[in-house]
Amino acid sequence: MAQKVIQIPTLNDSPHDFTRLFGIWNDVNDYFEDIRFDFSRCGFLRPNAVAFLGGLARLVESRMGSVTFDWSTLHHGAVMTNLCQNGFAGTFAYPSSRWDGNSIPYREDKTLDMNGIMDYLTYNWIGKGWVHVSDRLRDAIAGRMWEIYSNAFEHSGTEVGVFSCGQHYWRQNYLILSAVDFGRGIPANVRSFLRQYVREALVSKLSGAACLKWAFERGNSTCTGGVARGLGLDLLKEFVRLNQGKLEIYSNDGYAIVDKDGERFENRELAFEGTVVHITLRCDENLYRFRDEAE
Amino acid sequence: MRLSIKDQIGPRCIIKEDGQKIYDAVHGALQNGETVTLDFEGVSQFASPFFNFAIGQLLKDIAEADLRRLLQIEHLNETGRLVVERVIENAAKYHGDKDYRKIVDDILEQQAKESD
Repeated sequence: MAQKVIQIPTLNDSPHDFTRLFGIWNDVNDYFEDIRFDFSRCGFLRPNAVAFLGGLARLVESRMGSVTFDWSTLHHGAVMTNLCQNGFAGTFAYPSSRWDGNSIPYREDKTLDMNGIMDYLTYNWIGKGWVHVSDRLRDAIAGRMWEIYSNAFEHSGTEVGVFSCGQHYWRQNYLILSAVDFGRGIPANVRSFLRQYVREALVSKLSGAACLKWAFERGNSTCTGGVARGLGLDLLKEFVRLNQGKLEIYSNDGYAIVDKDGERFENRELAFEGTVVHITLRCDENLYRFRDEAE
Repeated sequence: MRLSIKDQIGPRCIIKEDGQKIYDAVHGALQNGETVTLDFEGVSQFASPFFNFAIGQLLKDIAEADLRRLLQIEHLNETGRLVVERVIENAAKYHGDKDYRKIVDDILEQQAKESD
């Protein structure tokens, strides 16, 4: 059987890095044979890349292909240490166990495991001690983050699940969480929903950016069934704004960012089937208090 | 009627399935005009899917003013209260029969302006 070798470059979390990740998805998608990921050109991998590559491997496996992470090609010690620490290497056949450090474990959720995900968010992510928060605020933040998983499982139709990874960057003092699914994508869902009411010729003109913008508005939801929904993204972006952090969503041909400058929506050339939610939170403790909590 | 949410659901009010359980337990009583108290003592984590189904859904056949009069909520922390308020506000203005044709036209118009 032919083996396709995919070079993993150094991957950060700028839009350019996401383009490279989606390029890898494009190379691998619909290739039903063996894939080998080669790390010889990789000098750094951010959590978004870790979550994405893990999910991509499971996607290929779900299509009866096979994936090998060729650890013998990974010569960069810091990258290897990080991938061992967050459990990614151990998940993909490298003989190591994860340990506690600055990384937030790589996680695979095939189904919506409420307690598992909430424990991860509560104790491994926000409650790990990177930032001193009251238990009440820790619980509140974890609840807002839950909306990411809820949306992914409820709307995306992902067959392989949701893949997460995070990291605390102590020098810059911020905390990252990335969650990836390989489902239909938000713009595809919005278009599919609107097609029930409006003719195809019009709906197909909606750009990825316009669809994301619609999905970001409070009360808008593609769910049917008579129960009002559409608050998840709104609650999440409100929290990110208060924190002066950053919420980025890449989905199909759309990109959304919420940060201190507001909300922006863009179209992207390379469409990817799925959604990445990438959150960067500042760990400045002044940003982590309820109004009634004393300094 | 008084319901301890921690006894019924546990310390996490997160998923819609649990919200549906609460809805099923209180809907009839509220429709009959009875007062219902939901006690959130011991519940520490909240998310919107739970409240959409537990409370937002009640507004399908109970007027907002009646719901606010009949449904008493106790020991719910600030975070939970904020989510409940959003859910009620959202459900109260929710209409299944939105004019999606107009919505799409408006989006396309905006899209055209932005690409000029």
